[in-house]
Amino acid sequence: MSFAYDPGPDPVRSDLVQANQGAWAHIAAPGTWLTGEQRVAVADETRRARSCALCRERKAALSPFSVLGEHEHGGVLSAPMVDEIHRVTTDAARLTESWYRSLLEQGLAAEEYVEALGVAVQVISIDRFHHALGFPLEPLPAPVSGEPTRVRPENVVEGEAWVPMQAAKQVAAEAGLPAGQAPFVIRALSLVPAELRAWSDLSEAQYLSKDQMMRFGTVRAIDRSQIELVAGRVSALNECFY
Amino acid sequence: MLRASIEFSGADAELNGISDGAKAGDAGIQHGELLTAFADAAVQGDPAELGTARDALRDAAGSEAVVDAAAVVGNFERMVRIADGTGIPLDGIVGAMSGDFLEELGIDAYQSRRMAGSAGLAAVMGPVIRGVARVGLRFAGRRAR
Repeated sequence: MSFAYDPGPDPVRSDLVQANQGAWAHIAAPGTWLTGEQRVAVADETRRARSCALCRERKAALSPFSVLGEHEHGGVLSAPMVDEIHRVTTDAARLTESWYRSLLEQGLAAEEYVEALGVAVQVISIDRFHHALGFPLEPLPAPVSGEPTRVRPENVVEGEAWVPMQAAKQVAAEAGLPAGQAPFVIRALSLVPAELRAWSDLSEAQYLSKDQMMRFGTVRAIDRSQIELVAGRVSALNECFY
Repeated sequence: MLRASIEFSGADAELNGISDGAKAGDAGIQHGELLTAFADAAVQGDPAELGTARDALRDAAGSEAVVDAAAVVGNFERMVRIADGTGIPLDGIVGAMSGDFLEELGIDAYQSRRMAGSAGLAAVMGPVIRGVARVGLRFAGRRAR
């Protein structure tokens, strides 16, 4: 059984355990554009990025695009996908649209980019949760064999962000949000709806459900102002504007 | 969202805990200093600093608060990378609500902010939207209490 936390001074809520287990099962399974093996390789690459010498050098450079070299990678994924995962993991605040476009020019499909991003950020998130509580990292899951579904959603629009996204109306309807009111951060992964659903499931346990987000009552041991202070501080430490 | 939650609670809190961390003290939020120290240590600190911050938060607010705060840290390590990795702009209403403190807190200087789009008309209407939202959230908070 994955995520069998040893009892310690900070017992983990059961909904968080279930969400983490769900995320691991989602990562291991064949996805929409990537196989289970590729998805677990994405997860593995996020962990390799933290000790990658090239990433360290780029992080220290005035411009991360001025340093050339090869990432320390696992040998499973394409070079543009490796670069995506390493930069997203170690220096996300300095990504640029021209860099994103260069990955597409190297043959990475936007759908693959979004799916790999969805997998990588789940691993980063759960690993950080473990780190914060002093737990060791959970071993990565074994990949499940099978083929990706390769189904692209309808109502995809271009030009509102770097990546194509489903139209706001579509995402709002599927997420049960007020008519047409789907914020960009909810739409961001919508080119690959399975990653959007995985994002939502984990967010509900780690943060709040979409319904709880719109109401400001207390649903956790820390109140809403305390939650948003931590959220804002983490965003600031990552130099993220959002 | 921090601003909205402060208005809803009716508290007289500051937003500089976001930019200054524990140096801002509690910033009007209960255990604010301990929470930001924990967030700082979880994102950037060494294991010893993190252990100290975790123990201090647990002593003051309890173990459930430590787990909840760790979960929020994990969640926003994910959210920032989704925002930065997809190139989404600020939503109009968020831009309008935050337009006055993005510069004050130094957020406008982030490269990710410079890469993002403008909030457009909503930014121009920001002062009006902020005023209406403030009254509405304070009213809703009083009713909820």
